[in-house]
Amino acid sequence: MGAAVAAVPCRCETLGVSAEAAAILLSFAMRETEAPAVELGQALERLAQGLRPLEGGIVREALAGEIAACVRALQFHDRLMQQLAVIRNLFTRLTDHPLPQMAGFGAQRWEELLAALRERLAAGSHDELFELLVRTGGVGVSGDGGAEQPEGSCELF
Amino acid sequence: MARILAVDDSPSMRQLVKLALSSAGHEVDVATDGVEALQVAERRQFDVVITDVNMPNMDGIALVRELRSRAAYRFVPLLMLTTESTAERKQQGKAAGATGWLVKPFDPDRLLSIVSKVLS
Repeated sequence: MGAAVAAVPCRCETLGVSAEAAAILLSFAMRETEAPAVELGQALERLAQGLRPLEGGIVREALAGEIAACVRALQFHDRLMQQLAVIRNLFTRLTDHPLPQMAGFGAQRWEELLAALRERLAAGSHDELFELLVRTGGVGVSGDGGAEQPEGSCELF
Repeated sequence: MARILAVDDSPSMRQLVKLALSSAGHEVDVATDGVEALQVAERRQFDVVITDVNMPNMDGIALVRELRSRAAYRFVPLLMLTTESTAERKQQGKAAGATGWLVKPFDPDRLLSIVSKVLS
């Protein structure tokens, strides 16, 4: 009985590792969503440029209004990024280790990081949750954004 | 049409501000933070500067303070475009020399009308 109790890791330790894992996953998810948002902005810019040579009229006005609506709506992505950055920073304060620099974070480094986190995570629900986050959080375990299963792919049985 | 410098660390926000202003014929340059903005502003004179507040390296309030200390930008409209809306932060912006404080998300038409207003 006593041995079973001793095997349970300290709650503080578990919390620190969980917070670290959460902060890292948030950073990756935020980084991954940046490129599609920029792509969307570029597409809007091309649409706006395409409208410029057109003479004024109902259709042009309507399309310009739609682009303006997209500009307003896309700013909520930026707001979400700011909110997530605050949450990530709060998690970071709970961690025992400084977070790795995410810029230029390659597949090998990502796998090393995951392995280290898995080792330090307490068994059971934390571990399962971590694996679930890795699979669904938009972060492929290969570190390249999920190259094993490209976005939009379809598997039929 | 005016030469405008848009400063924001978010790539999508820089794009959206540029899109909103250039659609009305303004010439827009962008910078990613206060430090880069100062370098760009020293190389080229702008008629209006629109800046975010929270940015790495140098924030928007420090940028406004720096620009106001330069003769070329003493009377240039400097607008803050930010999610921050507390009275305290606005006061800091005003004390640094900002011309106005816009809270995100912005409406493109409203942004254009504010730019026209500060230019006139």
